Order: sequence, then structure tokens, then C-alpha cells
Amino acid sequence: MANYKVHDNHVRDEWTAKIGQLHTLAKGVKFLTEFRKKHTTPLRETFDLELDWGWIECKIEEKVALLKHAELDDNQFLNNCTCGANAQEVADAVVAKMDACDNKYEAEKLHINFRTDYKPPVMPTNVFMDTDRLLGVKLMELRNTNYYALSLEELRKERGVKVITIQ
Amino acid sequence: MAISAATKAATDALAVNRAPTSVSAQEVHRWLQSFTWDFDKNRSKYPTKYKMANDTKEQFKLIAKEYARMESVKDERQFGSLQDVLTRIDAGNKVHPKWNETMKVISNFLEVGEYNAIAATGMLWDSASAPEQKNGYLAQTLDEIRHTNQCGYVNYYFTKHGQDAAGHNDARRTRTIGPLWKGMKRVFSDGFISGDAVECSINLQLVGEACFTNPLIVAVTEWAAANGDEITPTVFLSIETDELRHMANGYQTIVSIANDEAASKYLNTDLNNAFWTQQKYFTPVLGMMFEYGSHFKVEPWVKTWNRWVYEDWGGIWIGRLGKYGVESPASLRDAKKDAYWAHHDLFLLAYALWPTGFFRLTLPTAEEADWFEENYPGWHEHYGVIYEEWRKRGCEDPNSGFIPLMWFIENNHPIYIDRVSQVPFCPDLCKGASTLRVHEYNGKKNTFSDDWGERMWLTEPERYECQNMFEQYAGRELSEVIAELHGVRSDGKTLIAQPHTDKDGKMWTLDDIKALNCVFSDPVDAL
Repeated sequence: MANYKVHDNHVRDEWTAKIGQLHTLAKGVKFLTEFRKKHTTPLRETFDLELDWGWIECKIEEKVALLKHAELDDNQFLNNCTCGANAQEVADAVVAKMDACDNKYEAEKLHINFRTDYKPPVMPTNVFMDTDRLLGVKLMELRNTNYYALSLEELRKERGVKVITIQ
Repeated sequence: MAISAATKAATDALAVNRAPTSVSAQEVHRWLQSFTWDFDKNRSKYPTKYKMANDTKEQFKLIAKEYARMESVKDERQFGSLQDVLTRIDAGNKVHPKWNETMKVISNFLEVGEYNAIAATGMLWDSASAPEQKNGYLAQTLDEIRHTNQCGYVNYYFTKHGQDAAGHNDARRTRTIGPLWKGMKRVFSDGFISGDAVECSINLQLVGEACFTNPLIVAVTEWAAANGDEITPTVFLSIETDELRHMANGYQTIVSIANDEAASKYLNTDLNNAFWTQQKYFTPVLGMMFEYGSHFKVEPWVKTWNRWVYEDWGGIWIGRLGKYGVESPASLRDAKKDAYWAHHDLFLLAYALWPTGFFRLTLPTAEEADWFEENYPGWHEHYGVIYEEWRKRGCEDPNSGFIPLMWFIENNHPIYIDRVSQVPFCPDLCKGASTLRVHEYNGKKNTFSDDWGERMWLTEPERYECQNMFEQYAGRELSEVIAELHGVRSDGKTLIAQPHTDKDGKMWTLDDIKALNCVFSDPVDAL
């Protein structure tokens, strides 16, 4: 239970202070990807920050973008991920994995993990956006094929939800 | 040196007629189509399962000059009427007070739909590859910019010339307090601009515009006029004159993918999900706005719905697309059940939650209650008796210390919010088709109210992440929430929302709400 203000609240203040302590790109990126794994997407580790994760993630991204601007040259900025890897090579590898995938739940994880690990500013936007489009197309195709093949009961089991109540 | 196709066309035309006295707009349009790009090397920025054909036509073949001339005439008529005639006759103060409140919601929410449609049609422009099809989408982008301004102008006009400015003037910040907002964002925002570009076109053009603008933008003008509002028809009918082209764009989207094998695999599923998405919100909300937000009634919402949604759209419009493999959505049958009672169910909750609104609501008068019973037999026994009880307990009077939300708590009738549509429902009391189902996934409980939405979530859970008002405000006292989110009038203490429109009635203040000590809790915690 949150029980605090929507906009100005102590949770955002605490995270603003933590973000203020990030002074190198390497630390900022590690902080960002750990935050995303722990607090974002349906596969997150905890819902503790359910009300504020979007705002906090945005603030971390702002800081990482500034650190990136300070540490990378123009060529690196356009072509490399923040870890130094060539962005297009990383993108090609994940697209190849998705092309080979024919299970929608695996494809979903692949797409979610790609966003967690590489959503800008980690990967340059020019590479990320097109890769995200290609992954999204394949995921939508897998999800929408034989959409009504399973009953709701079967679909709940397949998704792995725990049914609390059905009226 | 090679000459361009355009230059060749002009040269050929001059060869036929050395001294043309005029060139028709359609000739110009044909000529412009030769200014195109090499689409084989282009790719869209947006994902889609479909491939749009390169030679899709567009029926209206508008060119910019023709378009601008047409729209400027419409704007002159509209703004001329509003600023001259309607102001002179004091039109803003002749609107029935109940309808004045309804327009706080309708115009402001439609503004959001129009705003998102700008982005949606821009996305479609990028996704299409046929020059004519792009041209149709581009004209629509310009229309949507115009419509966004028009909707904003309606609220501005009511603010400046009407009877109760609060809510018309600051809806953009106060609309987020209550539960109607997030459902509206689901249909008007997420539905139009998220996911597959073609699915977005189906949501916006094939369902939103071809199906629901008739009840929304046309029927609303009838209800407005019946309730003394000359302002809304002046603007909304001007908007509607553009909608035909938008419906045609939706038609052409389908034509453009008709020969793509993806259409046979995905199209009817996307249409069914788009229809359910749009109807789940619009069916109850529009019915509620018309019937409970008016004094003078036009016709029962269920009749309007049957005519425009079920027969005209589900039968005739979708029927015409049958040759392209399009089928009427399977969910249409379930939607038809909702068209009878769902808006009554929603008003019960909307009135109970009135302090979180940015408008004033009123309970049906005795005369209105008779109309409801006559048109919806069984209405009084189910809903009317509850309203009588609330009225007896003084729900309109701040001295009573009673708001209907307390009645729900006292009688253990929990209110849930559907995760997919974001529409609130009370399983104990609803006569519509909603039923409660709750899951837990990765430690998070999610509530649903129907099979179609539950299936959408099970397929694509990340799309529907959105905290509802009970999750967002749990543990907080109601007046604190209202104060933080600016739900007060210019005196800083009187609520914008009120449970009546009586100009002699006492207005509720933050102190009145605070005295109730009403604290939000999330009903799923008790499960």
C-alpha cells in the first residue's frame, strides 16, 4: 500500500538522491539495467515500486544519457552500445535468435529482455528502434497465430497464472 | 537528359491542349502521384504483421489546395456562428445544466482521441507504401489537428460564455483523478497508437470512426440540441464532415492488405479485439453520458446502439468488407448484451465516486426515473430504489455526511476495475454481462470482467500494465487526493465535482469530504 502523494513523494526523492551519486557511464548503465530487471516489465522481481517505477526509470535514463554524452565520441555515440559492443552486431544477433524462435513465450522473454538490456540510452536509438520493430513483428505473428485455439482455462494454465477467483 | 514523369505528363498535356484555361483538381492529383519515392528500399518505422499493397487507391483524391479551401470555409462558418450569433443569443447559458456538465467530459475526452489520432494517422502515413493511400492518411492527420483544436475550443467556449466554468477550464489536469480517465486512455490512446500499425488503423478507422463516431459525434448533437446546446452541434457536425474520409481510409487499409496472406491469419482476430476494446468503454460511457447527463431524452441508448453499432456497422459496413474476408466480430453478440444495462451499471458507480470527477452529476428526477423504467423495465427495482435510498440519506447535501461510496462499503459491495479496459464494475450489483475473475501472475493480482479482455491480457500482459485508482490511492484519505490533484474551484476549497447541479444547493468542500474520513482501499487485497 503506497499511501503517499502521486507526484511529490519520498520515494521519488530517495531515488533522485541515488541517481545523483552516479558519476560514470559504467556505473550508470549497471544501475539502470539492474533497476529495469528488478522493477519493470511483467517479469519484474518485485512490485514495490509499482507506482513510481516509470518516473524513476526515466530519471535514470536521463542521467545515463548525460554520462554517455560526456564519455563517448560521436562515432561511439552513433554505433556502439554503452558497454562498447557494436550496436548493429548486438542487434543482428538478437534478431537471428528471434527468427529462429517459434514459441511465443520464449519470443516474449527475448523481446522483454532486449528492452531491459538495450533500451536507449544503452543502445543508440537509430539501431534500437528498428530492432525493436523486427522483434515486435515476429512476436505479434506468434501471438496472433491460432489465437483462439486454446480455451481460457488452458490459456491460464499455459500463462502460469494462479486463479484467485472466477465468478 | 531524362525527364521526370511529372514533366512528361505536363508536356503531354500541353501537346493535347496548347492553351489550357483550367486544370481540374483531379488532374493535379494524378500529376502529383508521380512525385513519389522508391518504396522498395523504404521501410516503416512501425511494426506490423501485414504488408500494405503498393497500388492502393484513395477515393477522395484531395490535394492540399482543395483541402485547405474546404476546411477554411468550414472553420469560417463554425467560428462565425460561435463568436457572433451564438454569443449574442447567450447560447452558453441556455444549455441545460446537466448537459453543460456532460460536455465537460465529452469534449475534453474527444480532444484526447483526436490528439492521438494525429499520431495514429502519421504512423499510418509512414507504414503505407501507396502514394494515394499516403495522401488519404496525410489529409486525415491534418483533420485530426483541426479536430483537436475544435474540441479544446468547445470547452474554452463553455468556460468563457457558459454557466459553470470549473471543469471546462482545467479538465486537462483534473480529469486524471477519477476512474473514467484511464479507460478513455485505453481506447483513445493505447488503442490508436500502440502495437501493430494496421491493428491501430482497425481500432481508429474501422471501429472508432466507422462504428462509434456515429453514436459519439452525430448522436451527441441530437442530445445536445434537445438540451438547449447549440454550441456542440455547431462544432461536432463540422468535425463529422471529415469523418467520412476517415472511414474511407479504414476501408482502404483493409483493401491494401486484402491480398496479403497475413490477412487471412490475423485480420479477424485484430478486428474482434479492436471492437471489444472500443465497445467495452464506449458502450457504457456514451449511454451514461446521454441518458444520465441530460434532462430531455432523445431515445433509449440501446436503440441508438442497435441502429448504429449492430445494424449499420456490424451488418452493413462490415458486410461490405466481407469480400475481403472480414467477418463481423464474434464479440458483437456479447456487446449487444452490454448495450442494455452496462451504462446503468456504470452510472451507479460514477455517482458513488462523484468526488473524484471534474464535473457535477445529478441523480435522475422522478420524471427521468419514469422514463428509465418505461424504456428499461426493471430499472426501478434494481437501480431506482438505490437512488431513492441515497437521496433520503441526503447524498446531495454536504451536511448529511454521506456520499454513496460509503453505502457500497457498508453493504459490502466491492468495486473492482477491469485491468484491460480499466472500466470499473461491481459484480454484486451489475445487470450487464460483467463477471469477476481474478488472477495472480508473478506476485501481482489482476482483475477482469469478461472473457474477451481476459484472453487479451493472457496473450499480451505487458500491454495492460496500468495502476487503477484503488492501487494508486490505497491508504489515502479522499480529500487529500482531491486537493493534491487540483479537484477544487478557484476558492481553493470548493470541489469542482458536485453531486447536484442545483444553483441554490449547497456545494461540497474539501472540509466536508475530510469529515467523512473516507480512506481508499484496494478490494483485491481482501481476496
